[in-house]
Amino acid sequence: MEIGLRLAVSLAQIAAVMGVVMLTVMVLTLAERKVLGWMQDRMGPMEVGPYGVLQPIADGLKLFFKEDIIPAGANKFLFTLAPILALVPAMIGFAVIPFGPSLTIEVFGMQIKPFVISDINIGILYILAFASIGAYGIILGGWSSNSKYSLLGGLRSAAQVISYELNVGLAIVGVILLSGSLSLVKITEAQAGGFWNWFILAMPFPQIFAFVVYVISAVAETNRVPFDLPEAESELVAGFFTEYSGMRFAFFFIAEYANMILVSCVAAALFLGGWNAPYPGTILGYIGLDSVAWMENVVWFAVKVYFFLFLFFWLRATLPRLRYDQLMRFGWKVMLPIALGNIVLTAIAAYFFPR
Amino acid sequence: MNVVATQPKQKPSLRDWLKTLTFYELLLGMKATLTHLLNYKPITLQYPHEKRLLPENYRGMLALLRYDDGTEKCVGCDLCEAACPSRVIRVVSAEVPEEPTKRYSKEYYMDMTRCLFCGLCVDACPVDALGMTREFEWAVYDKRQLHLNKEQLLAIGDRSYPVREKRLELQHPNVAFFNVAFKNLPQKEI
Repeated sequence: MEIGLRLAVSLAQIAAVMGVVMLTVMVLTLAERKVLGWMQDRMGPMEVGPYGVLQPIADGLKLFFKEDIIPAGANKFLFTLAPILALVPAMIGFAVIPFGPSLTIEVFGMQIKPFVISDINIGILYILAFASIGAYGIILGGWSSNSKYSLLGGLRSAAQVISYELNVGLAIVGVILLSGSLSLVKITEAQAGGFWNWFILAMPFPQIFAFVVYVISAVAETNRVPFDLPEAESELVAGFFTEYSGMRFAFFFIAEYANMILVSCVAAALFLGGWNAPYPGTILGYIGLDSVAWMENVVWFAVKVYFFLFLFFWLRATLPRLRYDQLMRFGWKVMLPIALGNIVLTAIAAYFFPR
Repeated sequence: MNVVATQPKQKPSLRDWLKTLTFYELLLGMKATLTHLLNYKPITLQYPHEKRLLPENYRGMLALLRYDDGTEKCVGCDLCEAACPSRVIRVVSAEVPEEPTKRYSKEYYMDMTRCLFCGLCVDACPVDALGMTREFEWAVYDKRQLHLNKEQLLAIGDRSYPVREKRLELQHPNVAFFNVAFKNLPQKEI
């Protein structure tokens, strides 16, 4: 009975988070085209619905009803598996993201944390581990298609994701040193009380370099412009998903956007204080509405995440694609030393000035 | 970012280092895109809903014209066929029955898939029987629909030129050949 209820509550939480993520993905597909259009003096989609707001639904319907092609000579099992391997890790990472303050509420005599599905104590490690599995989806999808463009895209992706995941991990270490925990909930709570306590600015050693390294590596890890070599349109048709169509293609597409949201959430939680407002406490709390103060926190989290998502679009509208050797050199010769140096300095500072 | 490595060997100055460290050039580019986002003035025309103003001398779909009494202007002289650089036009000329001095185009075909809308046929026509309309929406599903015959060309002319040229007394097309003014005949009014 007890375990059944717990399961039901967990499933409800998972459904809610999945719903929000899928909704955000839908909004993002439209927002990306609109923002890119506006930045390039175009209008973006305008036909479906007023100002094109129903475009994601039309796209979804189109992809749903498209023919599902498995090319001759493709490895059928891996070809089918790859989109799932790409999508599931992107979705599963949201389990440890705290979307709001860590209150507990009582439901049927159980302690429930409504804003985080599962507050496990190795949260950030869990996200990194699943991000690595997501790379398998891309590599296997590229390999199993039996197409040279897909294979080249998959190979590029393999090298790129490995190089840049290293930087992501090393950039995060500084934050972990300062907060003393791997749990995203605890890391966020350690940044409470104003923007000067956020880890990007916090004493004893501001993680501004780690932040820059993380953001650049996150862009590279999600295969976005200017690091979109795995799916470089002008060189590789569509890269690793050249041969995919219909819902399998949609899975890769959703995975890319879900990954964007995930790395944005992690960046907000690790460096920009997560759901903490940039001032101590909450305004709603000060005017005596303590019971709804969580709304303000959730809004702040959303604002931070959407800022990062906008940054993704902004970079895409601005920057050209890097050459492959530039990408590798930048990853290993510039980002890695900066991340390592940041760890050394943070460790020294954290040793002499413990928080 | 790491532009230093790709540039010719020279010692980067402090200024260059600062620019690299602060992503100066990246920020310049991002400022440019953001400026366009904030001063959003799209140059897009929502084509099927709003259409561009065509220039005065727009050269669109070709058409055969008629006089105001409904007779065809074309005299079947074949000059348009000769003038056409892409061999769009094919004219089959014939005598008017019972009037052996008069000719007309018995058949008149245009293969619009090849037309490059240069207007040479219109210039070549001695009786102004050809005109260029302002129609341009001629996308079709079947390429063969662009092989037009005389009736179709006349229909295009009918809907595009509602005001027809007046056919003067005694001015049979064969008389007005090459638009030469004959002393004993009244001048053609334009």
